[in-house]
Amino acid sequence: MTEIKHHAYLFDATRCIDCRACMVACSVENNIDMDKTRIWVAGLGITGTFPDLQRGTMVYHCMHCEHPDCMSACPVGAYTKAEDGPVTYNPDLCIGCRYCMNACPFGVPHFDYDKGIIDGAFIDKCTFCPQRIYNGQEPACVQTCPTDALEYGDRDELIAKAHERIAAHPDKYIQHVYGEHENGGTSYLIISHVPFADLGLPDLPETPVNEVSEKVMAMTIPFALSWGAVLSGVAAGVNLYNKNKEEAEKKAEETK
Amino acid sequence: MKLDITLPKFLRIGILPSVLIALMGIAFVTAMARYAFGIGAISDLSYSYPWGFWISFDLFTGVVISSGGFLMAGLVYILGIKEFQPLLRPSVLTAFLGYIMVAIALLVDLGQPLRIWYMMIHWNHTSVLLEIGICVMLYLTVLAIEFAPVVLESFPKLHNIAHLIHKFIMPFVILGVVLSTLHQSSLGSLLLIQPTKLHPLWWTPILPIMFFTSAISVGMAMIILESSLSSRYFQRGLETHLLEKIAKGLPIALGVYALLKFGELAVAGELDLLFTSGIMSVLFWAEILIGVVTPIVWFSIQKNRTSNNALLTGAIIVLVGMILNRFNVSWFAVKHPDPLFYMPTFMGNVDYFPTFPEVAVSIGIFAAGIMAFGLIAKYFPVFEDELPAAAHAGD
Repeated sequence: MTEIKHHAYLFDATRCIDCRACMVACSVENNIDMDKTRIWVAGLGITGTFPDLQRGTMVYHCMHCEHPDCMSACPVGAYTKAEDGPVTYNPDLCIGCRYCMNACPFGVPHFDYDKGIIDGAFIDKCTFCPQRIYNGQEPACVQTCPTDALEYGDRDELIAKAHERIAAHPDKYIQHVYGEHENGGTSYLIISHVPFADLGLPDLPETPVNEVSEKVMAMTIPFALSWGAVLSGVAAGVNLYNKNKEEAEKKAEETK
Repeated sequence: MKLDITLPKFLRIGILPSVLIALMGIAFVTAMARYAFGIGAISDLSYSYPWGFWISFDLFTGVVISSGGFLMAGLVYILGIKEFQPLLRPSVLTAFLGYIMVAIALLVDLGQPLRIWYMMIHWNHTSVLLEIGICVMLYLTVLAIEFAPVVLESFPKLHNIAHLIHKFIMPFVILGVVLSTLHQSSLGSLLLIQPTKLHPLWWTPILPIMFFTSAISVGMAMIILESSLSSRYFQRGLETHLLEKIAKGLPIALGVYALLKFGELAVAGELDLLFTSGIMSVLFWAEILIGVVTPIVWFSIQKNRTSNNALLTGAIIVLVGMILNRFNVSWFAVKHPDPLFYMPTFMGNVDYFPTFPEVAVSIGIFAAGIMAFGLIAKYFPVFEDELPAAAHAGD
């Protein structure tokens, strides 16, 4: 395998057979309780009328966005985006506010609703298996996938690969690589034979959803300082005006 | 001989305080269950709906109805309108208690309540929630300083400190107004990161400005409400002439807000959504008709501004409409990704509806706030026309 500059996944919905081995592999690799999971597999069921039947399955994963909204939203900076792709979460900083769950347009981070204050209730999400990818192995879900529906590699290479595959089978695929530009680009790329909306993927612009809120946040300090200055000015002005008025009244009384 | 079955004086409490104490008790037990068994044990919150009634009611509503404090402090100290002085202390007290209630509610809602102070040392400067957290913490301190003289005055030995605070109050007032402006508007910014989840009737880049404008109207309504209610409960005179002036300002503040709301929709070319969004259109019109249109008409009538009952009614109408707005923005109009696609059915609920314990926690905290206001108003000179000695023990 060539050296990977930017870790990424490619998911091909046409290849997925809904076996859910990736879920199991992930839970085993990362020691996740069996009633929770970092990967969700959603079957669309069978659609269409005989003989044109179709089935779609979506393996839902953290998208490892290039401009992660969870990271933008987290008040205490519990999320980090690595230069080479993975978005990771640090439970030691988390205060459990669940703002990341609101911010993520894909609804990825999930929370320990069943844990009290002693166990501690944390967020959980895909970590991109750092213990594996930084040791030359594929992430657990990719390695276990029997049909190569999930692939792992360098982001640019995978994008090229996806486009090649779409171009080779124009009748089979929708002409789009989801995640190439969505939400400012993601490191989980999807190609599919059914519309992406049917797979439950939101229709997102090319700018990350945190764009407006980050712009507003950047104005906070300058706004606070100028607003404080304006208020101080008004207060001083009013004070001076009242003082002058009082003195004038006093003088008027004295001259009477 | 008269049969004496009355309780000792210190055990005698009225009906209202007993009810409040009972509500607080229920909330306390519920909160303990939450700490023991997790948030999921008492609430309907899920992966799809991480924020629910607690955020809409305790955070969004709690903060906005506490806006009377900075409004009054600004009017009296910064604009130098000294005639509003009698309304200042109750407003500051309401705000102070309001923010304490917000903080307590967050301690129930947070997954790691013991780490709430992490916001003081771990800063992610792109997070709107961090700004709100820091502003609320600082503003609580400012409110404590603003209110401290009321308590200190009751102890002759501490008069010096009260005078000292009074002398240097201005910087704190200005800081308080700046902090309030920031976090009142930032509550709107909190939703900016959900352009794909919040309905376009509400999502706009100027959400922070809308939140601030509406907070001013709510602050005015709250001043009227708390003055009227406390004048009834404590059987004291009502500053009708002052409230009349506030009531005169309300249609102006609400008018500006309405202009912003409809102006923004017009600029964004989304006016058609007003009639084509089904239940969302209904919710939007409900908040506008109740919270904006009705009060503008109501307070434009001279007669309604001078009658105590009409003032109270008008204030309640404003509050109902504006609180509906906060619920819309933070809950009703927020559509999370369809969870059917995202998770196996065993993992989360598809819909969210608050459970009884969830609501009970909020109500209990609210009851504690009312109780605290009553006790403080009884034993300290919150209403400046009465002396602390005049407060009589026992109801």
